[in-house]
Amino acid sequence: MTQPFLSIRKLRKAFGAFTAVHDVTLDIPKGEFLTFLGPSGSGKSTTLYAIVGFQDPSSGDVLLQGKSLLAVPSHKRNIGMVFQRYTLFPHLSVAENVAFPLRVRRRPDAEVKKKVADMLGLVRLESFAERLPGALSGGQQQRVALARALAYDPPILLMDEPLSALDKKLREEIQAEIRRIHRETGVTILYVTHDQEEALHLSDRIALFKDGRIEQTGTGEDLYLRPATDFVAGFIGNSNFLAAEHLETVGGAATIRLADGSLVSGISANGSFERGQKTRLMIRPEAFRLERNPASAELTVDVVDVAFYGERRRIVARTTTGQEIDIRPTSAAMASQDATPSRRQVFFDPGAAFLFPA
Amino acid sequence: MSVETEQSIATKRMPAGLGGLLPALTLIGLFFVVPVLALLLRSVTDPAPGLQNYTALLGDGTYMRVFFNTFLVAAVVTIVTVLVAFPVAWMLAIMPPALASVMFGIIILSMWTNLLTRTYAWMVLLQRTGVINRALMATGIIDQPLPLINNLTGVTIGMVYIMLPFMILPLVGTLRAIDPMTLRAAALCGASPFQAFRRILLPLSLPGVAAGGLMVFVMSLGYFVTPALLGGTSNMMLAEMIAQLIQSLLNWGLGSAAAFILLIVTMALYALQLRLVGARRATGGI
Repeated sequence: MTQPFLSIRKLRKAFGAFTAVHDVTLDIPKGEFLTFLGPSGSGKSTTLYAIVGFQDPSSGDVLLQGKSLLAVPSHKRNIGMVFQRYTLFPHLSVAENVAFPLRVRRRPDAEVKKKVADMLGLVRLESFAERLPGALSGGQQQRVALARALAYDPPILLMDEPLSALDKKLREEIQAEIRRIHRETGVTILYVTHDQEEALHLSDRIALFKDGRIEQTGTGEDLYLRPATDFVAGFIGNSNFLAAEHLETVGGAATIRLADGSLVSGISANGSFERGQKTRLMIRPEAFRLERNPASAELTVDVVDVAFYGERRRIVARTTTGQEIDIRPTSAAMASQDATPSRRQVFFDPGAAFLFPA
Repeated sequence: MSVETEQSIATKRMPAGLGGLLPALTLIGLFFVVPVLALLLRSVTDPAPGLQNYTALLGDGTYMRVFFNTFLVAAVVTIVTVLVAFPVAWMLAIMPPALASVMFGIIILSMWTNLLTRTYAWMVLLQRTGVINRALMATGIIDQPLPLINNLTGVTIGMVYIMLPFMILPLVGTLRAIDPMTLRAAALCGASPFQAFRRILLPLSLPGVAAGGLMVFVMSLGYFVTPALLGGTSNMMLAEMIAQLIQSLLNWGLGSAAAFILLIVTMALYALQLRLVGARRATGGI
C-alpha cells in the first residue's frame, strides 16, 4: 500500500472526563480537499487543533509523509492555516502580512517581494498591498489570510470555518475563490465547517463528525445518496423519517410496515434488522413524486401547505397517522397538479428510501 | 477611519459639553492655574525681578546634578516598571476573567494602602540588618550585607513597587484588545515565540507601554516621599530639593523656579507623547 500523505491515527483527545475526540483515524492523499463536517462540539476543530499543535492529543498520532508531527512545535510544523476570525496582524500592511512567514524564515528580500506579488495576484488583491487590514472588508481580509497561509508553500492548508463571519453573498464568492486556488496550487486542504452546503460545494471528500467520532467518510454524493447512518441522512440535506416496523430483509431489500399499516418492499436496508424491530424510514423530500410509476410505493397524505421556492415547490403534508412530512417536487411537475390542500397519494421509489434503527 | 468618527462626534458634542465643564474649569482655574501663575511670577520676582533664579539653577553644577539624578531615577524606574509590569499585564490579560478580577483587587488594594507605611516597610526590608540581607546571609548566598538602601537601588525598588499599578492597568487594556488568535496565527506562520513577541505582541502593545510609561515617568519626576526615605543624600531628587529650598532655606524664588522647570518638562513630555500616539493612530489605525 502506498503511504498516505497525511495520516491521522487513532487520535483521541480528552478534557477531564469529557472525551472530545474518540479514536479518529483518517488518511488523506496529497492534493485532496477534505472537509470535516459536523455540528459544533463534534470534535472537528479539536482534531484540526491537534494537527497544528494547539492541543496535544491524549493518544494517537498525526503523520505527515510518514513522520509524526506531535513532537514538532507549532511554529516548525510548516502548516498553513486560515482561522474563523480575522487574524491578520493589524499593524502590518497587507503586503507585510503576506510577507511575515517569509520574513521569520529569513528569506532574501527579492524572493519575499516576488512571492508576495504572486500571492496577492493569486487572491486578486494586488492593488491593496499597502493598505492596513483594518481598511479591508471581511472577505478581503480572509483572502489576505489565505495568501499569508499559502506564502510559504505549506504542504497542507487548514481552514477552520473561514467563511462563518461573512455574509451569504461573500461566502459564495470566496468559496469559488478557494476552489480556484485549490485547483491552481494543488495544495492539500483540510477544511472545517458546520455548513453542509459549503462542504458539498467545496470538498473532494467529507468526513462527517458526530460526538467526537467520524460517522461516515466519503464524497458528497456518497453521504447524500448512500448515508451510512440516520445521523448522516439527517445532517446532509433534508430528510423525512417515518416510523416503520421491519418485517424481513432479503438480499439487502427490506420489507416494512408503515405506521398507517401499509406495506412497502424493496427498501435499502442499512445493516441487519430483526423481524418486528422498530425502525425509521428515511425519504428525501425531493424523492417524493406526485405521479405513480410501476415501481413506486405510495403514501396517503393530507396536504397542509404549498409554497413556491423557484425551481421547486415545497409541500408540507401530514400522514394519516399525523406525522408531518416535507415534499419538494419540481415546479414543472407541480404545474399540472391541483395545489389546493386535500387528501392525496404521493409516491416514492423504495430503492431511494433507507431504513435505519429507531 | 475610527479617528474621523471620533473627531466628528467630539465636534458635535462640544457646544453641549462646555456648560457641563464649567464647574471643573472654575475649580482648575482657581486652584491650579492661578497658583501656577503665582509660582511663575514669584520665580522671576523673588528676591528681585529678572531671570537670576533660572540662571542660578541651570548654571550651577550641584543643582544640575539634582536635575540629572531626577531624570536618571525616573528613567530607571520607568524601564524596570515596564519590564516587571509587562509579563504581569499579559497574564492578567489572558487569564480567566474571574481570576483576573481577584488579581486586580490585590493590585488595587496595594494602591489603597498608605504610601508612608509601604515605604517604611521597604526600609525594614532593605536596610543592612533588614529581613532581606539577613535571609541572604543566613542561607550563605552573601557574606556582606548588600547596600540596598540610601542609594539608587533602594529608590528604584521602592518606586517600582509603587508605580507598578499605574503601568499594569493601561497595559492590560491594550493587551486585552489583542486577539490571542493573532499570536497563534504568527506561530503557524513559522514565528518562534520570541519572533511572535518582537514582531507582533510588542508593536501591538506599544500604545499601552507608552501611556503607562509616560505616566510612571512623570509621576517619578515629582516623587518626594520614597526617594527621601529610601534614597541617599548623594542622589537627591528634584522634589526633595524644592522642599529643602522652601522649607529649610526659605528661598521661595529658587524653589518656585525649580518647580516651574519640572512643570515645563512634564508638559513637554506629555505633548511629545500625544504627538507620537497621535501619529501612530493616523498611520497605524491602532
